[in-house]
Amino acid sequence: MADEYPFEISPMFEGERVRKDDLYIEFAGPKSKGFELVRVAEENEIEDDGFTLIGPDISEMEEGLLYPLGMIYRISGALVEPDLEAIVERRNHDFQNYIQGMMHLNQRYDVWLRISKDMIANGLESLEHIAKATMMLFKNELSFIEKIEAVYITDLEKVEEELTKAMEIYAARDERTKNLHDEDVDNFYGCTLCQSFAPTSVCVITPDRIALCGAINWFDGRAAAKVDPEGPQFAIEKGECLDVIGGEYTGVNEVALKMSGGEYNKIKLHSFFEFPHTSCGCFEVVGFFMPEVDGIGWVDRDYTGLAPNGLAFSTMAGQTGGGKQVMGFLGVGINYFRSPKFIQADGGWNRTVWMPKDLKNKVLSDIPSSIVDKVATQDDVDDLDKLKQFLIDKEHPVVEKWPAKEEEKAKPPEKKADEVGQVAPGPGVFAPTMPLDIPSMIGGGGEGIKVTLKNAKISIDKIIITNKK
Amino acid sequence: MRVIAITGKGGTGKTAIAAMLIRSLVSKNMTILAVDADPDTNLPEALGDTVEETVGDQREFMLRERDNLPPDVDKERMLESKIYSILAERHGYDLLVMGRPDGPGCYCYTNNLLRGIMDRIVKNYDLTIIDTAAGLEHLSRRIIRDVDELIVVTDGSKRGLQTAQRIRVLVDEIGLNISHMHVILNKVTPQNRDRLIELVKQLELEMVGMVPYDEALARLDLEGISLMELPKNSLAQVEIDKIIMKLGM
Ligand SMILES: Nc1ncnc2c1ncn2[C@@H]1O[C@H](COP(=O)(O)OP(=O)(O)OP(=O)(O)O)[C@@H](O)[C@H]1O
Ligand code: SF4
Ligand SMILES: [Mg+2]
Repeated sequence: MADEYPFEISPMFEGERVRKDDLYIEFAGPKSKGFELVRVAEENEIEDDGFTLIGPDISEMEEGLLYPLGMIYRISGALVEPDLEAIVERRNHDFQNYIQGMMHLNQRYDVWLRISKDMIANGLESLEHIAKATMMLFKNELSFIEKIEAVYITDLEKVEEELTKAMEIYAARDERTKNLHDEDVDNFYGCTLCQSFAPTSVCVITPDRIALCGAINWFDGRAAAKVDPEGPQFAIEKGECLDVIGGEYTGVNEVALKMSGGEYNKIKLHSFFEFPHTSCGCFEVVGFFMPEVDGIGWVDRDYTGLAPNGLAFSTMAGQTGGGKQVMGFLGVGINYFRSPKFIQADGGWNRTVWMPKDLKNKVLSDIPSSIVDKVATQDDVDDLDKLKQFLIDKEHPVVEKWPAKEEEKAKPPEKKADEVGQVAPGPGVFAPTMPLDIPSMIGGGGEGIKVTLKNAKISIDKIIITNKK
Repeated sequence: MRVIAITGKGGTGKTAIAAMLIRSLVSKNMTILAVDADPDTNLPEALGDTVEETVGDQREFMLRERDNLPPDVDKERMLESKIYSILAERHGYDLLVMGRPDGPGCYCYTNNLLRGIMDRIVKNYDLTIIDTAAGLEHLSRRIIRDVDELIVVTDGSKRGLQTAQRIRVLVDEIGLNISHMHVILNKVTPQNRDRLIELVKQLELEMVGMVPYDEALARLDLEGISLMELPKNSLAQVEIDKIIMKLGM
């Protein structure tokens, strides 16, 4: 079959790099323009296996030069639907890399291709060979494609014109992907990378919850798990939904039990207080509960000042990391603030009372307009008393929930300087202002002490936690 | 496909040796990938080359931009293309500069992508030579997984030799898949030569060559002139050619 083409075709040639010394011509890439686009069309609009070239062909090109290239494929088939466009388009990369002597890099409007001297020596004269081979692979490997035709463009003006149109199509597609939610998919993804230093960490990545390190979203998880199912990212069959608001799934609970070595058997993806996601040291932002105002503050890695609770990111990160479910603290990725399910079990934005200004600005457009002015930053307040006043002034929703005795409490309670903790008036959760003074594991390692009480009955009348001087 | 990392104590001559090796090998018609894994970035200069962007810059780009990228963009492909775009392509060799190390924040994922990308890139070359920073951390956190040979460069100092031995112990400890560890004694003078041979024997290190102290080389470096200008028959370069023969490259 490969005899029709003046080159070999095999997955074996993936990863083959065409070095500059071996280069005949180059297409698109960082120094030129190009794109790849797959469009669904009506069956009768497609001339199967058809190829059109707009602009000069390889035989008319000069060795060693760089040319623009647009590649448009139109596909049809009974099972072909517009949602498949992106998935099919991705494969252009794979298939063109199957061609010996050809290098295809990147995707969409960033594609970058090289044709080796060897290909020319072996008789390659036209882009038609490449287009036909690619189309053959599309049809062979993606059987739902019944008809396919290709238009390649090497004329700069025309490439630019079509690229502008393509950009709109990509943007519309992105809008659709952004609207993918936990309930729309069957699989979530897990990641084990950070278990090397946080062995009980259970990292779950869903459409509505980016990894807490901010690096891996659901699509990344899917891509990685598909390429290497044994690799660090793997699919989690989400199973049955046990708590819609909290985001509890049987599949996630099973994985939690396994990954944490029996430590945790329940994780609620969109909960802050009850069975929260574990926090390894990698999170971009740490959330902290402030019982004094019954609200949650968030502080990111880039903010070096102190949060209203008097603690810096590094301090709270040190206490929160280690792959545990930490009461009153939660590590998240910045994009989680853009999730419609953002800690929805605990009030979401309506529970958020403070964040650093830069972080707030980053996610500004995703904060509901009803609350956006009620979330304080370091410019508004620098301690808990001022925060309280700010929330009262702005009529933040948390204020309504403050206990009735609030009146007396509105005057700052006398605080003994070194007695900082008290039993929190939180939602039935023990959440001290300060993390317990248990050395915990930070970032890349270090010894930690783990105290596990099993089947213990403990009754405590009062806990006083004092800060070691 | 052979991957050799050059390590050793600071200032012992790792970069100089790497540059001289590359220079000789290029003339042998091999495809070579030169990697500068030292955040201080000296190898390009030694090769008479300049490189504008580093792997570290690309890694930062991914970190900075990740929330602005299309949600389903293939980040591995994107990073791969970025790495290719900063790979300096020269006659006979390509040069990749690692640049700044990880900053604060989580690099687990990006570095993991990078490892996969480097695995593939390295396969395209007959030989990859990595000039590393002094110190040993990079051995355990390396981005290039396929390193199978180490060249440890040491000068005549006791400390240099101790470092060489520590590296050997570490390689065993962290279970690196290193098939060979070669030692090159550098800056050897007629005065310290015999004593050094004795010391190397005591430390049970396998020595592949003794590069003499070379005035011409020292002068070039002092004046900031590339080592490519070193006469082919200079003492150091001649010894390097012998080492290449010995290593069967
Ligand atoms: N054989 C030699 N003869 C004379 N001078 C040498 C020789 N080898 C290296 N030098 C000099 O020693 C100094 C250090 O060399 P080089 O920078 O190669 O060491 P390095 O191990 O790479 O250092 P670093 O740890 O800082 O990266 C340079 O000034 C160099 O010119
Ligand atoms: S924090 Fe990121 S890299 Fe670490 S395990 Fe979670 S998803 Fe993986
Ligand atoms: Mg050096």
